[in-house]
Amino acid sequence: MRKETYLKIWFHDFRGIWMHELRQIFSDWGVMLIFFVAGLIYPLLYNVIYLNGVLNDTPIAVVDDADCSVSRRYIRELDATREVSVEYRCTNMAEAEKLMQERKVKGIVMFPADFEDKLARMETATLSVYCDMSSFLYYKNALMATNHVMLDEIGHIQIERYAAAGFSGEEAAQLVQAVPYEENNPYNSAFSYSFFLISAILFLIIQQTMFYGMSLLVGTLREQNRSFASLPDKLSGIGIGRSVLGRGAAYWLVYMGISIYIAFIVPAIFGLPQRGAFGDMMVLLLFFVTDCVFFSMTWSTMVTRRETVFVLFLFMSPICLFLTGTSWPETAFPTFWRIFSYIFPSTFGCQAFINLNAAGGDLSSIQSQLGAMTIQTVVYYFLASAAIFAENRVLKISRARHQAPSSAQSL
Amino acid sequence: MGVWHNIFAVTARELRIWKHRPIYLIGSIGVIAFCAIFFLTFFTDGLPSDLPIGIVDNDRSSLSRNFIQQLDATQIGKTVMYDDFEQARLAMQSGKITSICVIPEHMYADVSANRRPVFTYYLNSMYFVGGALAYKDILTMINLTNGAVQRQVLRAKGVNEREIMGRIRPIDVDTHQIGNVYTNYGYYLTNIILPAVLELVIIIVLIYSLGAEMKYEVSPELMRTAGGSILDAITGKLVLYTTLFTILGILIVTLLYHWMHFPIAGSIWYMIMAIFLMVLASEAIAIFIIGCLPVPRLALSIGALYSVLGFSLSGFTLPIEAMPAWIQGWSAAFPIRHYYLFYVQEVIFGAGFAGWWQEVVHLLLFVLLPLPILGRLKGAYVNLNFPKN
Repeated sequence: MRKETYLKIWFHDFRGIWMHELRQIFSDWGVMLIFFVAGLIYPLLYNVIYLNGVLNDTPIAVVDDADCSVSRRYIRELDATREVSVEYRCTNMAEAEKLMQERKVKGIVMFPADFEDKLARMETATLSVYCDMSSFLYYKNALMATNHVMLDEIGHIQIERYAAAGFSGEEAAQLVQAVPYEENNPYNSAFSYSFFLISAILFLIIQQTMFYGMSLLVGTLREQNRSFASLPDKLSGIGIGRSVLGRGAAYWLVYMGISIYIAFIVPAIFGLPQRGAFGDMMVLLLFFVTDCVFFSMTWSTMVTRRETVFVLFLFMSPICLFLTGTSWPETAFPTFWRIFSYIFPSTFGCQAFINLNAAGGDLSSIQSQLGAMTIQTVVYYFLASAAIFAENRVLKISRARHQAPSSAQSL
Repeated sequence: MGVWHNIFAVTARELRIWKHRPIYLIGSIGVIAFCAIFFLTFFTDGLPSDLPIGIVDNDRSSLSRNFIQQLDATQIGKTVMYDDFEQARLAMQSGKITSICVIPEHMYADVSANRRPVFTYYLNSMYFVGGALAYKDILTMINLTNGAVQRQVLRAKGVNEREIMGRIRPIDVDTHQIGNVYTNYGYYLTNIILPAVLELVIIIVLIYSLGAEMKYEVSPELMRTAGGSILDAITGKLVLYTTLFTILGILIVTLLYHWMHFPIAGSIWYMIMAIFLMVLASEAIAIFIIGCLPVPRLALSIGALYSVLGFSLSGFTLPIEAMPAWIQGWSAAFPIRHYYLFYVQEVIFGAGFAGWWQEVVHLLLFVLLPLPILGRLKGAYVNLNFPKN
């Protein structure tokens, strides 16, 4: 009997706090702007910027001092690759260097004068590639194109030589390539820049916009000398659980909607891979959004005024992106930063999203991430509760000290 | 004299504000210090090493073991053994490894009998740098294996060692990385990310500072201090902020090219000039945003959206030319883009004035931005007729 009334009161309070928080969210323009405009526009904007994602036909210059049949064939094949396009043929290096400095070309391929002689003497003939390192994609393109053509050319030359020595057909092929190889790059076959980056950015947007929005609200309440932590008056200090869960439920509800848009609709609009099963993705969103809610609730208590969240925490967005390990591999993280990365739900959320959505894994492939997010959720739940408890203590003491808290507001 | 007096009074007032509210210094010095420490320590390796590469060895012969040992011994790779492909695939899908090599059954026997067994590898390039490097590593190893087989045959035929090398590798490519000879990922990113963070800090902190005047309704007092001149008020504030941000900018440049010895082909003094110009341009953007939208919250949100986009639109990761045409033009609206172009000329090519003078002009053009909106900002400051939140 007693228990039932307790539950009833609990749910009544919970609902009250929940509805109150929802009203707060929807009556605050700043929060609405961040949740709905940033949360809905950012994913589209980043997709548009990285729409192509693949850099094709990087312009390069060629200096052909050898001018032999092999170098000419090499240049033709280079021009035919997806990665580079031979835009200029220069008579000397100085000319090519000038083009590179003027940024008309991003790489130079140079065949030395002794190239043909060395080939004829059966020595290794070396050609030089100069890459503009101002963007690694230029470097990657120039390197991949010249190396692929080199491997192909080596095969050509060797087959010709073995043919001259009396080996031909399968016999020569066996000598040239005893172990042929087959390449599979199933999830991102063109090494597209957009696929990996967008996948990480999408989940990061969920975490960051929620955190900024919630902090904005907390800052506003504090400015107005109310507190985010106020408990139902009649409870006199207990009821932290329903306060945390009630507030959390409001954000959770809003963000399940936004994250379904980000995880399902945005990839569909831009043709990003969607290999995860719907059910698995929903499980991931449940874990991730819940985790983000308590994460934001905990850290937003650091914000004392409305706009300061941007001044203090905006720079964390690019840092969080690196901490997901999608660009710089996680195995190369220094230990300190690896541990630091465990603070953020995005570290695990982005990895899990890539595993499910791009690599087409099932729940077993995101087991460890789900585990980590569960631990985070529990830890942040208790931290958020502790923050509310502490805030209440402070409020009670300050209320006791001065009946009407002074409203010293200055810059 | 009156002008100088007003400017000085505003500067003194701003100093008092800084003393009263530490957020201005935490938001600038603290943020830059944190980011500098983060980016300079995060990429300490320069190039990742010991990337886990999954191996499914169906052959278990001396040849396959030799191959695995060689792959393991490369700087980039570290082999992880799996019993079957199923397990390896799961590990790759869960991101534990970035690639799988499948060594076919009877590889040794087939190679000996000239039956050309097919070696298969799988990559997960969703983990971008790791995937690309593992790819390069595996490709090198498999070609070396082919070379080794060929060498055995040629040796047996009595070809001398010098000629063997020429036969196995008739052509070689000799790569020169201009501006970053070590292919150091940290050099590449930090060079632009730290100035981009500075741009973000300048825009956010300055919008906050200018907006806070209205938000806390003290802008009329500011205008009185400045003798009613918006130009004096802004100048007084900017004296302090420009000093702060320029010092931070010089520290970044000195940190990168002097203390950390990042490669630089040109002169560090020109880079200091470039970052100073970027500071001015970013400040102009901040004033422009708050002047157009004298609503602190809205201006800050717009400033946040704008400055975060700067990281992408500077074009140092995905080059601008790979973006859709109608996005490309927008990149010119970001000071960091011009700083990047300046950096390419000075740091990578050492081109000097002839290379970067246009970027100087572009950055200086930003400084004109606040002029048309000063009147509007003055109206907002005096009348406080815009919503505060």
